[in-house]
Amino acid sequence: MQPEQNGITQRVRAPLAAQTWRHIVRLEKVDMTFGRVQALADIDFQVGRNEIVGLLGDNGAGKSTLIKIVSGVLRPTAGGIWVRDGPIDLDDYSVRMAHELRIETVHQGQTLGEKQPLWRNLFVGRQILGRFGFIDVKKEKQIADQLLRQAIGFRGQGITAESTVRDLSGGERQGIAIARAMYFQADLIVLDEPTTALAVSEVRKVLAFVEGVKAAGHACIYIEHNLAHVHEVADRLVILDRGRVVGEFAKGEITLPELTNRMIALHEGHARGHG
Amino acid sequence: MATADSASIRVLRIEGLPIVAVLLILVVAFMIAAPEVFLGYRIYMSFLATVPPLLVLAVALTLVIAAGEIDLSFPSIIALSGWVLAYCIHELGSPWLGLGLALLSGALVGYVNGILIARVGIPSIIATLATQFLWGGLTTVLSQGLSYSLGDVDQLLLWRLLVGRIGPFPVQALWALGVALVLWLVLNRRRFGEHLLFIGDNAKVAEVVGVNVAREKIRMFVLMGVMAAFAAVLLTLENKNFFNTQGGGYLLEVMAAVFIGGTSVFGGKASVVGTVVGSFIIGMVEAGLVATGLQGFWVRAVVGIVFLAAVVGHLIIEEPDRGRTVLHIVRGKLAFNRKASS
Amino acid sequence: MKAVASTIAIIGVAALGASLPTLADEPLGSGITMYFQMGGNPGDGSTLPRTNGARAAAAAYGVKLVEQYSGWQPEKMLNHFKEALAASPGCIEIMGHPGNDAFAALVADAEKRGIVVTSGNSPLTKLKDQYTANGFGYAGVDLYEGGKLTAQKMIEYGGLKKGDKALEYGLRAQAERGKSDQGLYDTLKNAGLQVDYIEISPEVDHDASLAVPILTAYIQKHPDLKAIGTQHGNVTAFIGKALQDAGKKPGEVTVGGIDLSPATIDGLKKGYISVTLDQQLYLQGFLPVTQCVLSKKYGFAGLSTNTGAGVVTPKTIGALVPLIDKGIR
Repeated sequence: MQPEQNGITQRVRAPLAAQTWRHIVRLEKVDMTFGRVQALADIDFQVGRNEIVGLLGDNGAGKSTLIKIVSGVLRPTAGGIWVRDGPIDLDDYSVRMAHELRIETVHQGQTLGEKQPLWRNLFVGRQILGRFGFIDVKKEKQIADQLLRQAIGFRGQGITAESTVRDLSGGERQGIAIARAMYFQADLIVLDEPTTALAVSEVRKVLAFVEGVKAAGHACIYIEHNLAHVHEVADRLVILDRGRVVGEFAKGEITLPELTNRMIALHEGHARGHG
Repeated sequence: MATADSASIRVLRIEGLPIVAVLLILVVAFMIAAPEVFLGYRIYMSFLATVPPLLVLAVALTLVIAAGEIDLSFPSIIALSGWVLAYCIHELGSPWLGLGLALLSGALVGYVNGILIARVGIPSIIATLATQFLWGGLTTVLSQGLSYSLGDVDQLLLWRLLVGRIGPFPVQALWALGVALVLWLVLNRRRFGEHLLFIGDNAKVAEVVGVNVAREKIRMFVLMGVMAAFAAVLLTLENKNFFNTQGGGYLLEVMAAVFIGGTSVFGGKASVVGTVVGSFIIGMVEAGLVATGLQGFWVRAVVGIVFLAAVVGHLIIEEPDRGRTVLHIVRGKLAFNRKASS
Repeated sequence: MKAVASTIAIIGVAALGASLPTLADEPLGSGITMYFQMGGNPGDGSTLPRTNGARAAAAAYGVKLVEQYSGWQPEKMLNHFKEALAASPGCIEIMGHPGNDAFAALVADAEKRGIVVTSGNSPLTKLKDQYTANGFGYAGVDLYEGGKLTAQKMIEYGGLKKGDKALEYGLRAQAERGKSDQGLYDTLKNAGLQVDYIEISPEVDHDASLAVPILTAYIQKHPDLKAIGTQHGNVTAFIGKALQDAGKKPGEVTVGGIDLSPATIDGLKKGYISVTLDQQLYLQGFLPVTQCVLSKKYGFAGLSTNTGAGVVTPKTIGALVPLIDKGIR
């Protein structure tokens, strides 16, 4: 663990210290192939310093794959990654390194250990250590309790830091995943379908949170099926279709009805079996 | 769906409490049925000498199962590491070298398991079944089929240190409980242990939150190997003999100890305390039944009943919904029977 | 006449002398392949000396030995016989566990093809009588008689009397192996002792050290226990330990067992074990190979040898120790 940390810290110090970078993350000519399936092809994708990028596409377009590359879960089969305009060694890049580089991700679906208590879920992979390298359980639980009170989706009924994730509703789980990303103060926060399990009032809170990220000077990648939501908050929209970028629009360049039609056309294109 | 746990269920959630209750009930039952045996100290001293290897194996296996894997090769480590120790004592006259090499041999078996499972991708049940044959067979070849008597070994410092007696009290019990304590801390208070829990819970989630799944699995199997080797050392020294078929009788007993203790076979949830208690239950039950005069044929049946009762009990406590379903079915059946007979 | 006779004699001796090196060059059993069922698992306490005996004889006679291990399972033994048949060897050695009826057809087939079949360890009396002329012999102890002898010696050396309490710890549930326990049990019973019986569990069968707390509990439960008998080789080794744990001194309880595993020596030397039956397992390996060679080459009939020499006691163990260490006794 120690050597890796030193290595990352060195690599992180330089880019973090540099003040004059344009893109928090940039992918260039990235391919992702699984066996015979090409999930992503020739992707050029970047997120500006203080930008909300809405990532759109039909199911299977490659959004989650792209996100997993940004967050260090998958290694691209071709292409390069830059973080804060500094090149990233693909052999080294991992979830841990992404966290060190202050990139946090709220994945769709499987991001919490169901049988584990909340306090473990919040800190797994970057535990707070006490004496002799033992996990400081007391501290973790303390911070977890604090976060719970502020978290989206929680109505404060009997859920504590010790509750098991399994006992939580879909919205509460979403709230925990977001709270986790918030706590670790990301410069880039990636949200993959964060509103799926939430009630209407809670969805508003997520959107407010996304805008808050921008107001605080950070960046966000936001994946949503609900076009109205993403159209409202995004500075730029990127559309993926079958592993390729097929459209990019800055805020104001496309209206919601036009966007809706575009997405429907793409979907019907699949239904008709084109390409 | 946030349900408030009832106070009673919360008490039952104190780690290992239900199974401790089962152990106490058994002991009390034995005391009533055979006071001349179970009210004296001797039988307990006998248990404290024989349960430790079982306990060490079971506690180590608990971590493996917590990570969603299984290890069926540990009986062959009992044989192999036992042989290494016995050979060094019997042929080379170097007990401490024997200890070191024995632990190393366990680590080697564990490492091979880890590579096969984490890097090559063979499911652990198959990989460890195969290595069980491999290393067991190798031990027979190395030992030329001979068993060693380690006659004077009880004069050695190593012997006194690991399996000696403080009065009538067997020292290996202290070592075994020490191992249990250390592994409890590892599982519950160290990053490595937490990683194992997440891997067992959902390996995909573990990856996404930054756990190096392959590396941690390999470490875990090596740990299992070393612990199994330590159990082999305790066993071989206590017996003052090496039997080249030793270890085979432990496979099912160790697994029973783990599951009676409440560790989930699905991974992600484990109880070291439960395993410790489960080991004592398994270690005591046959002797207790014999003392009560119950014919030996009954032993397996009783172990089976205890096993099922423990597993169902754990299910009801951990998953109240399923527990309610079970009670519902039972009530339904009773109601049906009542209706049918009226 | 005398000159002619002596010339013939001299030529005769010379011819014999010339042929002797040839005879000496070619071992008696060369060219013969023998399939030998060893019984247990390789290296087992009750299998190893047999294996060593068979190997030694095979080496001496130049016989090609094919070893088969069945873990004492009768079905496996039958399968192994079929495998042997398929290879058409010179001889096959089997054990009696599956029984005469199970083997009858198979042995008949082998005999028809001219394969010499012989037996050891556990008898197949009907088949043996049928094919004695073809070389079907037996080298072993009668299991029941072995148990009986052990019990008799226990009574003799232990001074056991009518009404004394005894425990037989064995495998009566197993058809063949159980006969030895039955012999022990019956003999003690007939001598008027009160005999209790406990069945050995599969776990203990495999790891005999697991017997210790069980026996300790029993011994404590019955403080006036006078004797413990078993015919399980590995369990024999641990009875001493159980007695120790239960607070008994050597000789307080008369112990009868079987075989001479290294662990049992400790017990004998310390005096916890009073008698142990010596099957002379090495002979159960050596003799059938000899039988095979002599019958195959010269058509000798099957020989029945009782390899049970009697019992070993603390007094007689000393001389045997070096041989036991080598896996010969």
